[in-house]
Amino acid sequence: MDNTLFESVLQGIFSSAFLASILRVTTPILLPSLGALISDRAGVINIGLEGTMLVSAFTGVVFSAYAQDWFGASTGADIGPWLGMVMGVLMAILMALLLAFFHLKLKANLILSGIALNVLGSAATIAIMFELTGERGNTKGSLASLRMPFIQLPEFLRDIPVISFFFRIFDNQSVMTWIAFLSIAVVWYFMYRTPTGTHLRAVGQNPEAAASVGIRVTRIRYLALVISGVFAGLGGIHMSMGYLTFFQRDMTSGRGFIALATPYLGGGHPVGTGFASLVFGFFDALSNRVGSLNIPSQLPQMLPFLATVLALVIYALQAQLTSRVRTLRSAEGEGFDAVFWKAIQRLSVLHMFLAMLAVFGVIISLSMFAAPNGFDGPETAYPVGAAVGAFSLALIGINLPFMLHVERIGRQVIASAAASSLTLWLYLGLLFGLYLRTTSLKDQSIVLGIILGLVAGIALWLALGGQYLMRHQRREASG
Amino acid sequence: MNQRHFSRHLPLIAFSVLIGLGVMFFITYRVFGGSWETMTNAPNYVSLIIVNALIGFCVLLFVVELRWDALRVILTVIFALLLGGLVTAVFFLDAANKYVQGEFRVQVVSDAEPLIDMGYGDRMTELFNNPNVDEPVKEVSYQFVGREGDEIAVLAYVEDRNADLDMAVALLDANDEVLAEASGATEEQLRTFRRYLKTENDAVIESFVLPADGTYSVVARMENPDSDARGEATVVVVSEGGESPVDMAYNAPVGATFNAPNASDPITEAAYRFAGSRGDVISVLSYAARSNVAVDLEVALVGPDGAVLAESTGSTAEQVAAYRPNLNSERDAIIEGFTLPASGIYTVRTQPEPLTTSMRISETVSQTADAYETFLLGPLSRQNRWVIWMRDALTLIMLGLAIAIVFRAEQFSLGADGQLYFGALAAGALVLAFGDLPKILLVPVALLSAATAGFLWGLVPGVLKAYLGANELVSTLMLNTVAARFYEMVITEQLQPPDAGFTTSDWFASNGLLTPIIDVAGDQVTIAVYLLIILVLITWVLIQRTPLGYEIRMIGANIKFANFGGVNSKRTIMLAMAISGAVAGLAGAHLAMGIHRRLILNISLGLGFEGVVVALLARNNPLVVPFTGLLYAYLRTGAQVMERDANVSSEVVRIIQAVVILLITADALVAFFRQRRITRRGTIELDDGSGEAGGLTASAQEVAHG
Repeated sequence: MDNTLFESVLQGIFSSAFLASILRVTTPILLPSLGALISDRAGVINIGLEGTMLVSAFTGVVFSAYAQDWFGASTGADIGPWLGMVMGVLMAILMALLLAFFHLKLKANLILSGIALNVLGSAATIAIMFELTGERGNTKGSLASLRMPFIQLPEFLRDIPVISFFFRIFDNQSVMTWIAFLSIAVVWYFMYRTPTGTHLRAVGQNPEAAASVGIRVTRIRYLALVISGVFAGLGGIHMSMGYLTFFQRDMTSGRGFIALATPYLGGGHPVGTGFASLVFGFFDALSNRVGSLNIPSQLPQMLPFLATVLALVIYALQAQLTSRVRTLRSAEGEGFDAVFWKAIQRLSVLHMFLAMLAVFGVIISLSMFAAPNGFDGPETAYPVGAAVGAFSLALIGINLPFMLHVERIGRQVIASAAASSLTLWLYLGLLFGLYLRTTSLKDQSIVLGIILGLVAGIALWLALGGQYLMRHQRREASG
Repeated sequence: MNQRHFSRHLPLIAFSVLIGLGVMFFITYRVFGGSWETMTNAPNYVSLIIVNALIGFCVLLFVVELRWDALRVILTVIFALLLGGLVTAVFFLDAANKYVQGEFRVQVVSDAEPLIDMGYGDRMTELFNNPNVDEPVKEVSYQFVGREGDEIAVLAYVEDRNADLDMAVALLDANDEVLAEASGATEEQLRTFRRYLKTENDAVIESFVLPADGTYSVVARMENPDSDARGEATVVVVSEGGESPVDMAYNAPVGATFNAPNASDPITEAAYRFAGSRGDVISVLSYAARSNVAVDLEVALVGPDGAVLAESTGSTAEQVAAYRPNLNSERDAIIEGFTLPASGIYTVRTQPEPLTTSMRISETVSQTADAYETFLLGPLSRQNRWVIWMRDALTLIMLGLAIAIVFRAEQFSLGADGQLYFGALAAGALVLAFGDLPKILLVPVALLSAATAGFLWGLVPGVLKAYLGANELVSTLMLNTVAARFYEMVITEQLQPPDAGFTTSDWFASNGLLTPIIDVAGDQVTIAVYLLIILVLITWVLIQRTPLGYEIRMIGANIKFANFGGVNSKRTIMLAMAISGAVAGLAGAHLAMGIHRRLILNISLGLGFEGVVVALLARNNPLVVPFTGLLYAYLRTGAQVMERDANVSSEVVRIIQAVVILLITADALVAFFRQRRITRRGTIELDDGSGEAGGLTASAQEVAHG
């Protein structure tokens, strides 16, 4: 592999520009994720986000392009994007209402109706694009669409030492990015500080109970679906009028589906959903960056989707564990050691997370075996693939016992500590080592990486609850 | 089925047999264009008829299995098709525009001597004093028309400097009064008109202002008629205004294009002037420039004083015949046999006939109907289209079976796409690697490996759902993308031959292909037809006649009840998703080994979703899936034909797909109609036993029956 190319990619990843690009690519995931969160919490998960996004993305492009005809070039350029946004969101609301009508009124299956909405959104946008422009692929060149304004921060911030780093991240971001991240707060306020939000969560948790205290379940669900439509619409607008500046067939490429997964990963909370979206944004941005490396471009493209599956797994395991702990708490009553179980739960997440990361290694190694020509030929790919695969499987293997039987974390503290810090050591060592390669400490990067990784791994394990477990075990041994 | 039972169902069975036979004959008739000879000349026509008989049998199964529900399926599809028709009509909203746009010609036909010979700027050249003819030309006269106030210059000159021809020129008005004369040119005039004049022998009348509108003549002669000088002399009238007051002469067509689609400032009407003498009998024609231009024209003749003298909006069939090839249709306009009342400049005005709303509507409707006819009958219009329909149907039926299995367990797994990719990849890689194995070994092994790959890839979301409770919808969708990227990676990096122009694997060796039973110019229907019959039966047996199938149906009906009843729901859900994956993997193998005959990029393009429609329409009943698969593939093929022939986006069929899903799952719709039926009859039939309970929820009753 070309060393200088590799280093320039590394430098790209450890830079403020990369963080800025994470924000940019997170936006079209975060917005529909918030929509998915609200519909999910109301018990009516909106599968149709993908199609809704496409419809609003297309509507925005069309209206922003025609606004210049209707209002003249200069006025049109000013109000065009906003007109496009309003019309796009209105169309998205219509789509959501269609879903709501079929599910809530005509009792159609929610999931299948959502699928229908996706098919409809994809097909209708392509058909109308063909009718309007004669193009089947995209509107680039045939529709002079506009993009949402980009927000420039005040220039003086650029010169303040620490702030300048953040300045470079937040400067020149689309207004949609700001809307997206501010929406997290809005959604949080709506869900936890307004009566409607409380009703919404009640309806999602137990519709019969909610109905019995006089909450109008159907109306709340209509509202939830419409709100999810609004967010999907905003996400679509960002796709075609910020992220790109034209409409392309099926341009959302699965973001509406990823958005269904982020609320799970985020624990059903707006802030968590925001962080989960950032994780996907990270993988998305990463796949764009490492695309210039000499590896098949499809490999990094898989990562966000694989991450979604793994996130689902972690979420599902956590949900199982939580319910188990709840049962234990009610069974043990007074004697229940809440801090102990909290620590175990945190550490189990650590184990799961580490094992899941190793799944990436397995996929990479499989890819190397399936398509060795993409990785500098079989001579390089097979041994490297075998090594990566063996290491990954070993890492999964040492963490797996603690995932399947979480009690082992408490019983075999030393083994759990060894497993997690060994894995962490490897990951963090790799990360530090790679980071140091971009700095002046390049030559010592391997040694420093190993040391830093070990220290950070043990520190993280202790911080997450290991320290309490150690004390607990000593107490058990003595008492 | 006992005797009493059978006799009770006899009318239904007879009815469905009739429908099945009807469908079989109709398809066979259409495919061969209703001609016995075409049929017997076609290769493999027996196989084709056998397959058509199978199609008929699928129809029979559909009616027998679903009974009244079949009616609902058909009504839903018809309703969706009507909506699709509306969408198609959108593409033809401006269909009537063809009557107001297009290239046209205007021509004035007359036998009369033209009043004028030239316009401003026309160079009229004549060979003077040619000794080889009996009467050598010594003098020429040309007519032109001018307007009052036009400032003109009349020039007579000899191009060849050595000709030594000395010219004189005179300008006369309509009454032959000489208005001006000249017999030479000054130095200054030579400079001013250096584009024309060559020597001082040339003659020029400069800066003459015409006194009135009308015709004028120019007479150019040799100054010394007796000289031997000879050569070509040119006469030209130059106007400072530059523009000639006439645009056309008799029998010379002129034209332009009305409402050109891409013009920034399209022409909507046109006017052309010509000069005519009193008593000239003329016919004015305005017609489409080519026979494929449909512009509908009207024409008016306007006299010199601006009064409309004659108008026409069309022509009769006799006129069209008489003025061929200029006139092509009765849309072209003609003013025939008009006698000009006075000499002067006339104007022909022409424009497309204004569109009326009823014309717009009728044109939109008729074009939509035409397009929809190609959509609805397209797959039967040619044998190769029938083949494409069949092989698409085979894939869709397999996917429909795959989806039916998981949907039967109420698992919304959409992983068929990903499983298909891995099935295709496994089969393809095997065939490419071991192409020299005997066919009898290679094909079954490839199919088996495809099924295994699909099984394993289906096992992943199965395990995640069954043992961890991970949402199967999200996980399968994500795994689909992972599978698609993996497939793409292997094709681009590993299987693509170095010299291939685009991303695809090598062609499979013939040992690795499914044997064709019908071959129409390279498009093949393979033995997959017969394999599919076995697959349908296996799936049916699995769901209806095995403990596992019973458990799957129990879980689908009510998972809590199933758990109480001792069903190992985790294992069953996992197996249902994995088995569904195996079937989807076979669909991938069919795509690779039966249709494309190599591995191509985008081998699926969302086929999994279409499998959902197929399964839903079939009520997740494996015996009905073949019919709905055929139906849906028919619509897909028809849409492609329509896209090609009528330029309507084939996405229309996906809009129909969306409508079908929405309507077929809308249970309240059924309840609404059933309510009506009960009210009408006043009784409720309880022992019906057919799958009246709509939607995905197979009723508990049905489970008990099975």
